Amino acid sequence: MKLKKVMALSLAAALTCSLAGCGNETAQTAQSSTTADSKESTETQSGGEDVLEEELGYADIVLGETYADLTASIKVMSHRTDLADTKFPEYIAAFNEMYPNITVEYETITDYAEQALLRIEQSDWDIMMIPAVDKKDLGTYFVPYGDLETVSEQVRFANTWVFDDLVYGIPSTGNAQGIVYNKQVFADAGITQLPTTPDEFMSALQAIKESNPDVIPLYTNYAAEWTMGAWDAYIGGSATGSAAFMNQELIHSASPFSDRGDGTGPYAVYKLLYDAVALGYTEEDYTTTDWEGCKGMINNGEIGCMVLGSWAYSQMVEAGPNGDDIGYMSFPITVDGKQYASAGPDYSYGINVQSSDDNKKAAMVYVKWLTNLSNFSYSEGGIPIDVNGAYPDLYSAFDGIEFVADEAALPGEETYLNDLNTQSELMINAGGNRKIMEIVEHAAQGDMSYDEIMESWNQAWSDAQTTLGIEAQ
Amino acid sequence: MKVFLFVKKAAAKILIYASLLLAAFIALVPVVSCVITAFKPDEEYAATNVMELPAVWKSFSPSLAWIKEAFANFITAWQRADMLLAFRNTAIILFFVLLGSIMTGSMLAYVLSRFKFPGNGLIRSLFLFASLLPGIAMQVSLYRIMYELDFINTLYGYIIMQMGTDVISIYIFIQFFENISTSLDESAIMDGCTYFGVFFRILFPLLKPAIVTVLILKGVGTYNEYYAASLYLQDKTKYITVATCLYKFTGPLGNQYNLICAGLLITLLPALVIFILCQKQIYGGLTLGAVKG
Amino acid sequence: MKTGFDFARWFKGRKVQRFLVIFTFMAVPLLLLFVFTYLPFGEMVNFSFYNMRYTGTRTWVGLQNYIDVFRRDDCFGALKLSFYYMAGAVVQLMLALYFATLLSFRVRGGSFFKGAIFFPYLINGIAIGFIFKFFYTRGFVLDTVLGWCGFELDQLPFWLRDTNINNISLVATSVWRYMGQNMVLFIGAIMSVDGELYEASRLDGANRFQQFIHIILPNIRTIVMLNLILSITGSLSAFEPAYVITSGANGTATYFVLMDELAHVTQKVGLASAMAVVLLGMILLATLLQKLFFKYVFRSAEDEDKGAGARRERRLARYARRHKTGKGELRP
Repeated sequence: MKLKKVMALSLAAALTCSLAGCGNETAQTAQSSTTADSKESTETQSGGEDVLEEELGYADIVLGETYADLTASIKVMSHRTDLADTKFPEYIAAFNEMYPNITVEYETITDYAEQALLRIEQSDWDIMMIPAVDKKDLGTYFVPYGDLETVSEQVRFANTWVFDDLVYGIPSTGNAQGIVYNKQVFADAGITQLPTTPDEFMSALQAIKESNPDVIPLYTNYAAEWTMGAWDAYIGGSATGSAAFMNQELIHSASPFSDRGDGTGPYAVYKLLYDAVALGYTEEDYTTTDWEGCKGMINNGEIGCMVLGSWAYSQMVEAGPNGDDIGYMSFPITVDGKQYASAGPDYSYGINVQSSDDNKKAAMVYVKWLTNLSNFSYSEGGIPIDVNGAYPDLYSAFDGIEFVADEAALPGEETYLNDLNTQSELMINAGGNRKIMEIVEHAAQGDMSYDEIMESWNQAWSDAQTTLGIEAQ
Repeated sequence: MKVFLFVKKAAAKILIYASLLLAAFIALVPVVSCVITAFKPDEEYAATNVMELPAVWKSFSPSLAWIKEAFANFITAWQRADMLLAFRNTAIILFFVLLGSIMTGSMLAYVLSRFKFPGNGLIRSLFLFASLLPGIAMQVSLYRIMYELDFINTLYGYIIMQMGTDVISIYIFIQFFENISTSLDESAIMDGCTYFGVFFRILFPLLKPAIVTVLILKGVGTYNEYYAASLYLQDKTKYITVATCLYKFTGPLGNQYNLICAGLLITLLPALVIFILCQKQIYGGLTLGAVKG
Repeated sequence: MKTGFDFARWFKGRKVQRFLVIFTFMAVPLLLLFVFTYLPFGEMVNFSFYNMRYTGTRTWVGLQNYIDVFRRDDCFGALKLSFYYMAGAVVQLMLALYFATLLSFRVRGGSFFKGAIFFPYLINGIAIGFIFKFFYTRGFVLDTVLGWCGFELDQLPFWLRDTNINNISLVATSVWRYMGQNMVLFIGAIMSVDGELYEASRLDGANRFQQFIHIILPNIRTIVMLNLILSITGSLSAFEPAYVITSGANGTATYFVLMDELAHVTQKVGLASAMAVVLLGMILLATLLQKLFFKYVFRSAEDEDKGAGARRERRLARYARRHKTGKGELRP
């Protein structure tokens, strides 16, 4: 009975507070993040942020010296469920040799892109991999690492999460976009020269199919869903050779998905997938593909190739006894006689603005340690984020191929891509798995031609531009 | 003529049992296939048909070593999904949610059935209308409210959200109260009892059958609830429940169904045990709940 | 307040007491109802007029979201899938009725069959998702079982891939899960039919089928109709099978799955809210039609209901006596 009353009272109190909170939102363009604001302001009052910015800069941290006696307990949220019981404990142990009083805990999440957006406003984490947020909101959620110029001196791809010249995210690793393949399978099919154009690629798949019907030439990983969304990563640098395409040109292009006629551009990228499925070069039942299982399968030569970033290479190598058979190649598109490969950051570490001062310090130290000393990039086959780190061996596959790192959006246009993504529902490079899964479905069912699909995307894109008032050509 | 009748009767019997056997088979096959798969180690799972009996069953011996071998997947699944924590959390949630919803339901039903006051009918209709609202659709806005209340990532927040009563429980209780004569209340009042006393000392103990019904209906629902649990109990290192701990199997295990099956069988086990023990009450509770609702 | 219950007149001093008990007993349940049902409902309706995401700014767009709901092909396209679920619901009820009838008579192993058919109801949604992904995978459980029946793998479809069949596969899981629960309800209803009627009919020489048509069906038709109509409104808001098994891919996205996706992936919170409001409107309409239907078509059903009520009270009386809680006299 008493308990009931207490609960009733506290509920009532809480409710009143929440209603008061809602009162601010009546204005037509009200901020929905009122509480985030209020929480932040208490932070500032307690002397948090302003002081921190002076005291704490990523560039100033000297590992092993700065904050060496700090005692804190921090929590990292990560999308790498596969590392939860393997690499992460090793990192924590190694880090604790240098910083014995900082306890690190990981939480790994399967549907990360979605969950992270829900949890970004919570205070129960200290480091998270930054999900698809608006750049203008970065300061609401994350602690800045320093200004762009200073951070760039130490970190590759520092411009990934920048707003107002402040860096809010340090990439965990970098990736080049290409295709992971089984050399033995390609050799058995008589493919001596790696394909450099879509046509050559399709004939390579055909050759594999013909030489050994038991091998799946291209495994889609449809059921894992995020592996489908990953195709978006190829439509920028790899398909156009232009560093400005992704963040500057795409938003102003009225029909970005049209056929360019020369086997380049986004059209050529997705067409590979459509054609491969339509011609039967992919697995029989795409609805029950097995992401963990595919690693062993490509290692054993049951799969010819998969369209995955360079991060996937080391996982495929380690998945079985035939690691030597695994190779990595550039995406088969040639622009004006030259091949390019998009290279860009993976998820970036962001530090929670709501964390205590000590936790912020500890988190920043840990981020720097991960970047410089953990060897994470090397074990993942990624591009090291530390500017002094050398490229791992696998990148020899990119000899003669130019890396293209996306340029940031122009000032004033930072939110355009995100806005267009939501409005058009295409969610390019932002969890838009469904649209690419539909390519597979339509190709398999044969109920919609590839050109019709691209036309509908163009339509959605230009409608969104009209709605949002974004200029397009 | 008699022979004909006999044949007809026998044919009918055969038809009846055949259809019952078929139905039971269909109902159980998906679960049985999981049981079979859960006992296979990785290599055997990869190499054999899913319905082929596991090798370890054939080499049965009542030794600790055999048990360890046979139940290896269950042990791994138990550890991987942190099921001890999941069962602990679910036990806490069940206890408070059931306590809360029984108290709120019976108290509200008492007031609604024993007193006439303006708004009595309105309150009944409010609960009835609430049952029509699409729960999943409202999660978007409910999320913001949970956030404002600071209820996200707390067991108590989830419990408070879940423990509200619903129209079916209220009807079950109201129906019960209406079957209890008001002369009982009156004589207690004569003896100097307050209304609170009447409810807690006299009427509440009489509600036992209705409480069992509500316990079962709400208990099954709470034990199996996963959508809100995964949305609001976000920190999966601390707040997994028996239903949501299965999410741990979607990522790194891929399609390793031998482990997944072992894990989900562990979550089914308590439900199965309780079902076997309280079959009668469960059937009775369901019927009572649905006839009124 | 003056029209209050008898006590109030007898004990004037009780008025305060009365108010207190009403207030305190209702405060918590009503507060919970308000905070977790009506407040979010109001907010949802409010959201449906905005163009907004979870975070960031929002803009008032008036009825635009509603116009979009009706203009988009996918929203109402998704509603078409409800027909699969409705058909499934009808099949489910017929099977449930059939097995309920069989099991209400004395059958060897009856409680085993009842338990086995009912058990799927107790399995949680995520487990269902795993079980049926496994069940329908090429060459796995279903294909093996059909193989025993003489089918070759080549003759069988891909249960989740073929868009002609995957929705049926999903609906089948729903039937599998809820048929037993329906059956238990019907058994309960059949059991409350007066046993003497069976005796009389048996003396008249009626067989089981005739008994079913002439005694059982008329006596339980209210609950059957109620369940049928509940399943039909339920079909409109079908969510779980598609959500847990295929996550709505490959043409299996029902209205709610689509809405969930719009709200969480694309973050069109306003549009998703408008979709919810539209569907709620349809559910209310269906419920209203059901009420009218009952009123005009099944007027006689009311009588049955009263009878059932009386029988239930008798049962309760017996129950109360058995449990020695019979202090309270039960009303006639």
